[in-house]
Amino acid sequence: MQPVPERISVQTNVLNANQQTALANRELFADRGLLVMNLMSAPGAGKTTLLEATIKALQGHFRLAVIEGDLQTDLDAQRIQALGVRAHQITTGTVCHLDARMVARALDSFPVDDLDLLIIENVGNLICPASFDLGESLRVVVCSVAEGPEKPKKYPVMFNKANVVLINKIDLADASGVDVKELAANVREVSPKAAIFELSSRTGQGMAAWTQWLQQAVEMRALAATVSV
Amino acid sequence: MHEISIAESIVQIAEAKAREQYARSIQVIGLRLGTFTTIVPDALQFAFEIARQGTLARDARLDIEIVPMVVRCVVCEASTQPVRGVCLICEHCGFPLEIVSGEELQIDYIEVDSEKEESPCSQCQNESQSRPMY
Ligand SMILES: Nc1nc2c(ncn2[C@@H]2O[C@H](COP(=O)(O)OP(=O)(O)O)[C@@H](O)[C@H]2O)c(=O)[nH]1
Ligand SMILES: [Mg+2]
Ligand SMILES: [Zn+2]
Repeated sequence: MQPVPERISVQTNVLNANQQTALANRELFADRGLLVMNLMSAPGAGKTTLLEATIKALQGHFRLAVIEGDLQTDLDAQRIQALGVRAHQITTGTVCHLDARMVARALDSFPVDDLDLLIIENVGNLICPASFDLGESLRVVVCSVAEGPEKPKKYPVMFNKANVVLINKIDLADASGVDVKELAANVREVSPKAAIFELSSRTGQGMAAWTQWLQQAVEMRALAATVSV
Repeated sequence: MHEISIAESIVQIAEAKAREQYARSIQVIGLRLGTFTTIVPDALQFAFEIARQGTLARDARLDIEIVPMVVRCVVCEASTQPVRGVCLICEHCGFPLEIVSGEELQIDYIEVDSEKEESPCSQCQNESQSRPMY
């Protein structure tokens, strides 16, 4: 019997499986009026520090939880737990990003019904997490002044998909010789619609504008869920 | 190296489609890959060599069609292909640009060896009734 080569049209997105799971996550979050934030950056840009400062500002107002994604160790989850906030660590081993299924599994360890804000700290990496939707409502990218002004140009896909870009470590602007305005302009070029905040999670400068914005987003989200019931 | 996860997904999708068609093996997987993704074609080819092992695609070739990035201004309709560096603000009117293409990551087609016969004979028909369900 002679094999007959045959071309079959497929037309399927390679990330389809992840997107299906992300969709299920997103529906669950919307149903509960839960705001979910996917926090991404290069390693060391200050995600965990920023998270700590954000938690301190919002802790009295909302019921919070955190999912920490890291290649190894649960050090970041420990930092969050030290603030009295529920934190679940996902260690990905060699996988350079979180995916929707890892988040879905982690949800088992959360009282999803009793939360207002869930923050997911993704694996430190400006490339891979850009492709994997987790079902989040907000994609937040942290970019530190210490990384220089060119990061948005070098990683345009990640910045383009951000809803919010937090320019962190502005206290280091002078020491690192970086013009914060130039960095912000570079962010805007690849992500014209993102909200941009300039802040320092160490000194607290600029933090209030960000946490007020986030607070409003959490409130609107909860309100939208009660209205649609 | 997210190309590993991507390559695994490509093989899974291609295999599922091939099984649907009772194919014996996959010869070619045609992929459309936009330039405004984070996927590096060479890294993907490398990852694919690993991901295809032990599957229906074990001898398959990955044909990557590169789709260039095209952006368009919703206000002045100017359409451009960013070459060096990406700027999503219209140089003519300052409004944000829309991405028309360049974000593709899609399996277009597969080429398979099927068991279908030009002229059916009794022997083959028997065989096709007891197709292996892999
Ligand atoms: N000067 C300064 N240092 C910061 C700031 N935010 C974070 N850092 C420091 O940057 C380093 C990495 O921070 P971390 O939050 O662990 O980064 P992550 O890897 O993105 O989670 C730590 O030494 C932080 O203390 C900031 O706003 N200013
Ligand atoms: Mg961290
Ligand atoms: Zn224009």
